[in-house]
Amino acid sequence: MTGIQIVLVTAFVFVALYYFTKLRNRIIDVILLLVLVILAVLFVLFPEITGLIAKKLGVGRGADLVFYTSIVTFWFVVLKLYTKIRKLEQLTTDLIRKQTLDEAVQKKNETEN
Amino acid sequence: MHNSSVYIIVPAYNEQKVLLKTISALVTTAYSVVVVDDGSTTNLKECIKELPVYFLRHQINLGQGAALQTGNEFALKMGAKYIVHFDADGQHQISDIEKLLKPLLSMECDITLGSRFLQQQAKEIPVRKRAIIYVARYINLLFTGILLSDAHNGLRAMNKKAADLLTLSENRMSHASEILFLIKKHKLKILEIPVSILYTPYSKQKGQSIWNSIRILFDLLLHKLFQ
Repeated sequence: MTGIQIVLVTAFVFVALYYFTKLRNRIIDVILLLVLVILAVLFVLFPEITGLIAKKLGVGRGADLVFYTSIVTFWFVVLKLYTKIRKLEQLTTDLIRKQTLDEAVQKKNETEN
Repeated sequence: MHNSSVYIIVPAYNEQKVLLKTISALVTTAYSVVVVDDGSTTNLKECIKELPVYFLRHQINLGQGAALQTGNEFALKMGAKYIVHFDADGQHQISDIEKLLKPLLSMECDITLGSRFLQQQAKEIPVRKRAIIYVARYINLLFTGILLSDAHNGLRAMNKKAADLLTLSENRMSHASEILFLIKKHKLKILEIPVSILYTPYSKQKGQSIWNSIRILFDLLLHKLFQ
């Protein structure tokens, strides 16, 4: 094993361990992450595999293929997070608004009594 | 019509300097005044506590769109028949409120939008401001199919029907364009009314800068993508 392989494999294993122990997740997420980590480790240990796939797809090098797919994945994740943030923002707004309106109605009742 | 069934919504964020002046003038009209404090870091309530207004407060700052929506919901709960949006910074004229309400009362339309270009000398409006508004009008046209003579002017009035239908989900400044989306979606009848905007050094400084306008455009694009 070369140095970079040791570093990368250790990093992937740590990410996976952290994910499994610290976060409570849906089973589908766990399976997806497991598959991704196994794939990543395989690609790191046997870089020829990515080279083969890259050639089949008409990309020059395996590293380029990984780079391109990472960009697509990255954008997908950004959009996913963005929709999530918008949902959270909407939720915050609804909660704050409800509190504001409840307080206002309460105050009105107090002045009437 | 009973004046108190007209609700004036004044969203405010850290505007204690001018709020008192704006609100003191508004309460002389016998309309119901609702101040929505959008999570100001200063104590707005203190500076208008003597005045007979409804005071609502967001615990955190959500944006003008959110404040207007809260005001609308409150007013509807209180049985409002007409709702007016009015800026806290003192750039709108109280005498314009009646002009905006008139076509609603005669049932000519559901919403009236204030326009500063129908009567005011264009020269009175700062040049940079005019350029931004010009672009904003056509962006609004592109997104909503409605070409107005003005854009992003905070003064507007609506009847109960319109207020029920317009649920603003854009918290920040792109609510002005969102209102146009909703007008189109629900086929509400609109009318533009000439109003005059007072450009004080304060309101100029508070108004939309170019960067803010780009932010609004970005919010609009995202609204279209993620609605």
